[in-house]
Amino acid sequence: MKPVLLIAVNFVREQRWPILVLLLWVLLLAFQGLVTEMPRERDDLLFIFKQVAVYVVVFSIFFGGSAIYNERRSRRVLAVLAKDVARYQYLSGLVIGVTMACGIYCFTLGLTGSWTLGQSGFQIRDVWFLMACLAAASALAGTVALMFSTFLNPFFAAGATALVLLAPAVLERTVAHSLGIVVPTWELTATVVKSSFDSPLKISWTPILLAIVETVFFWMISAWIFTRVDIAVAVE
Amino acid sequence: MPGALEFENLAKEYRSFASRRRLRALDGFTLQVETGEIFGFLGPNGAGKSTAIHLAMGFMRPTSGSGRMLGQPFGYAPARRRVGFLAENVALYHRRAQRLVRFYGALNGMGGADLEKRSRDVLGAVGLLEHAGRNVGKFSRGMLQRVGLAQALVNDPELLILDEPTSALDPLVRVTIRELLLRAREQGKTIFLSSHLLSEVELICDRVAVLHRGRLVRLGRTADLLQSTEQIEIVARGISDTLFPGAKTENGFVRYAVPSSSQRAVIEKIWAAGGEVVRLNPVRRSLEQVFLEVTSTQETATKAEKA
Repeated sequence: MKPVLLIAVNFVREQRWPILVLLLWVLLLAFQGLVTEMPRERDDLLFIFKQVAVYVVVFSIFFGGSAIYNERRSRRVLAVLAKDVARYQYLSGLVIGVTMACGIYCFTLGLTGSWTLGQSGFQIRDVWFLMACLAAASALAGTVALMFSTFLNPFFAAGATALVLLAPAVLERTVAHSLGIVVPTWELTATVVKSSFDSPLKISWTPILLAIVETVFFWMISAWIFTRVDIAVAVE
Repeated sequence: MPGALEFENLAKEYRSFASRRRLRALDGFTLQVETGEIFGFLGPNGAGKSTAIHLAMGFMRPTSGSGRMLGQPFGYAPARRRVGFLAENVALYHRRAQRLVRFYGALNGMGGADLEKRSRDVLGAVGLLEHAGRNVGKFSRGMLQRVGLAQALVNDPELLILDEPTSALDPLVRVTIRELLLRAREQGKTIFLSSHLLSEVELICDRVAVLHRGRLVRLGRTADLLQSTEQIEIVARGISDTLFPGAKTENGFVRYAVPSSSQRAVIEKIWAAGGEVVRLNPVRRSLEQVFLEVTSTQETATKAEKA
């Protein structure tokens, strides 16, 4: 477990600048909270909150999709895998690293959201539930991107991930409503986007649990593929 | 007793996805590196040296064949805990040197005061202790290579696999690293050294192997390879060097290299001319000469095969 955590923390450290840039959006939300005239502009504030929240899912795809590619291109992966680190442990480190990076964002956004939206009547408990939805959605999105990045370059990995994550939305509309939860990132993100001051939030933990299970499932597939990849070959 | 590193009929073929072209980087490669020796792994660019090393480290899967590292199949992660590896183009995270070495040590299960002490010791051994607090992102290539060596040594490995470890180092540091490797051998460690610096290899390696186009074309003890059994240098005095075409005069002595089969005739000719034979030396070639001879012979054979 120690190497996994070391790789995860190292991933977050390597991504510290993109994470800091992301946190600037949270800062923007906090600033908005300071200048907004409550409760007249509370819907605008919620709109910004939702917008800033959804960014993390997109960034998790970038984090997951580029992690292996960057490590292989820079050849830094060789020094890590030359140690007592199995490929599945390396991928576990990256999955946890992506989740930690998104978790940091969700946590700070949760704090800011609790303060700003809490003032305007939004249930603080609901803010944290939405953050749990986001964290689960981004962990799954990042892991799917990581899986595709084991054999595709980041651009195609991001594209393939978008297809997989958006497929349930299409299935929901064309085949059956229940299929919307097959890969629950869409469902979880929609929960965040549809939240409002007027209608009470329907709290269901099923999509979150499903997202966690699928994150493990996609991690296992990633590990299976990555074990068979020649990592010393130039990625270009 | 099993070798520290064993390649058994290993082959590796690279396939280009787009053009469906195939490149055989290694072909029927068999080699055993014994425990406690410094083994030189030579070959021209593209010979397959790095491919063989990457297969041993488990970075790649062989197309066919197998291999063992410290008694375990290639790619078995726990075996790497006893191995130190330095890649050809060192690529490390941009952290302070000592933290970086500690990070790589921790990946190998080390920790606590032992890791702290060991990281300082290895940085000292490669001459970087005074730079231990500096970020390696600001290091020169030579310094980076030394940090790379430090991270390879941090776990006190039984087997060191080094791909061009001294290519970017200045002569002074090169001597330090050479002494470090010789000390490691004295401690019973095995060193597998891939290098283009043939003079270095000649100085420290017990055995060498030459790889050419993925095939092992020469293997032997360094001393045996350098010793030419076919040529004898005859040192004589009291004669003119014009007696033998190609002979040279140095400090009053005439030196002339002849095939060992014809030495008797030459010696008799010297005596007949009133000269005196002072010494007979078996001709010792440099590793560079051996390398060039082997690779050019192979190149000619390959061209003839193609024709």
